[in-house]
Amino acid sequence: MPPVLFEWLPYQLRSLLSGLPDAVLETLEEIRIRENRPLEIGYGGRFAFVRGDGSVADDYRAGYKPSREDCKALLEKVTDHSLYAVEEELRRGYVTVAGGHRIGLAGRTVLEGGAVRHLRDVTSFNVRIARARPGCAARLLPALLDKAARTVRHTLIVSPPQQGKTTLLRDLARAVSSGEWNDPSARSWGGRKVGIVDERSEIAACERGVPTFDLGPRTDVLDACPKAEGMMMLVRSMSPEVVVVDEIGRPEDADALREALHAGVRVLATAHASDLSDVFNRPVLALLAREGVFGAYVLLSRAGGRVEHRVYGALEAEEARRRGLRQWAAAPRDAPAPAPAPAASRSAGGALETAIKARPLPPIRSPDRLEGEGEGHA
Amino acid sequence: MLKLLGAVLVLFAGTMIGYLQAARFAERPRQIRYLLHALQRLETEIGYGQTPLPDALHRVSLAIPPPLAGMFAAIAAELRAGTGVTVRESWENTFSSGWPSTAMRGGEREALLRLGGTLGGSGREDQLKHVRLAMLQLQTEEAAAREDQQRYEKLCRSLGVLGAALVVILMM
Repeated sequence: MPPVLFEWLPYQLRSLLSGLPDAVLETLEEIRIRENRPLEIGYGGRFAFVRGDGSVADDYRAGYKPSREDCKALLEKVTDHSLYAVEEELRRGYVTVAGGHRIGLAGRTVLEGGAVRHLRDVTSFNVRIARARPGCAARLLPALLDKAARTVRHTLIVSPPQQGKTTLLRDLARAVSSGEWNDPSARSWGGRKVGIVDERSEIAACERGVPTFDLGPRTDVLDACPKAEGMMMLVRSMSPEVVVVDEIGRPEDADALREALHAGVRVLATAHASDLSDVFNRPVLALLAREGVFGAYVLLSRAGGRVEHRVYGALEAEEARRRGLRQWAAAPRDAPAPAPAPAASRSAGGALETAIKARPLPPIRSPDRLEGEGEGHA
Repeated sequence: MLKLLGAVLVLFAGTMIGYLQAARFAERPRQIRYLLHALQRLETEIGYGQTPLPDALHRVSLAIPPPLAGMFAAIAAELRAGTGVTVRESWENTFSSGWPSTAMRGGEREALLRLGGTLGGSGREDQLKHVRLAMLQLQTEEAAAREDQQRYEKLCRSLGVLGAALVVILMM
């Protein structure tokens, strides 16, 4: 990863973090900055603390403690010296900086009439490093195709936080837009028009409206727009064939989804949930699932540094729900990496395969022996 | 002959000193006015455009004449440069070091520095309040400056000429 990554950090923290070993920088996932508490980083599926000289320590007592001035300067820097311009984001608890990195904030809230009006005394920052992994959706895409309609099925990507949903979604959008279907029967399809509603500016990481990530040649991005409204705006005005949204879950999202569906638009969406039964327990998602809105569900999970995905058709999902299948409950993601991951996940896969043996779509998974594109999404 | 030349020189110098002093009195309310325009512009950028502060300051600097324009542009550039400097530090340094090149005095400076301490650090409503407060203070200063101008501008001019004349008479 290029060191310019840190240009949105104030000088002190930047010089500290750019002194990290290259191996750590390349797999960096999170930077957690807390006032007067040790500076923590998450990388390659584990966590550690950063010492004052830029080296990494497991013991938190050795960690560098960012001062009040560090935190103040950081807040100023990530808001571009303009808290007034990011009031709405502060209310929701995060800001997004150049490069699509989302920075979660915690501090003291200011209430007005019981609702959060403002965040002040911000003392905890969680920087999530966004990263493009071109090609990470290649394995998954063939399983999502609707060959009769020559496009993708309505898809919901499900996983706990931090398993690579957004990274996968970003690459799916790129592949669909540029026509890299990775399937012999789809070779003549060409790309589809893709519309992205990027509420948190994470998928495209727009700078002055232009995406900084590669999203394919036929992609339009509606930046920082609320999802429900954005989907409707895109459908009305940009005639997309595929709409991409991140993290649905509110009632108005469901309405907009139905609307888009009936306008003949395919939807790729993500949601937080640890497994399929969670999907059926979340009110809005359950309603959508029961209506049979989604044609495919993708479950992501992570073993060691590897991201695995599994595709369910709508019928299988229904079946799985009835059986109360809880195969994919995730372990805390920065727990020490389980060394014998291949054996463990294979047996889990075996059990699942028997559970849904009669279904037309086999579960697919990134092969354990193959290196490179399938692993380590941030 | 030499005496006459000296007298002319003294007279010229005295007159010039008087005119320069008078020009400072005339310049002060004008510069306060520019500063008010700048803050008004800033208010719009913050209130309606929600423009990030470096951009807003840059735009302000384009709309007003030097030497104020240079100072606003310097702050904008410093914030953009990513040296980790805070708005308050940058604002204070720039205006403190650049102030002697303007015709303005302590009162305006205080109001401006106080604004710099809060700029960018709070929500929109609060920012607008601070900007308006600074503008109010500047308006009072402007009224005082105009009064001073009326009272002292002509006085300075005639004092320069007359003082020089006095010196010449004493020399003769």
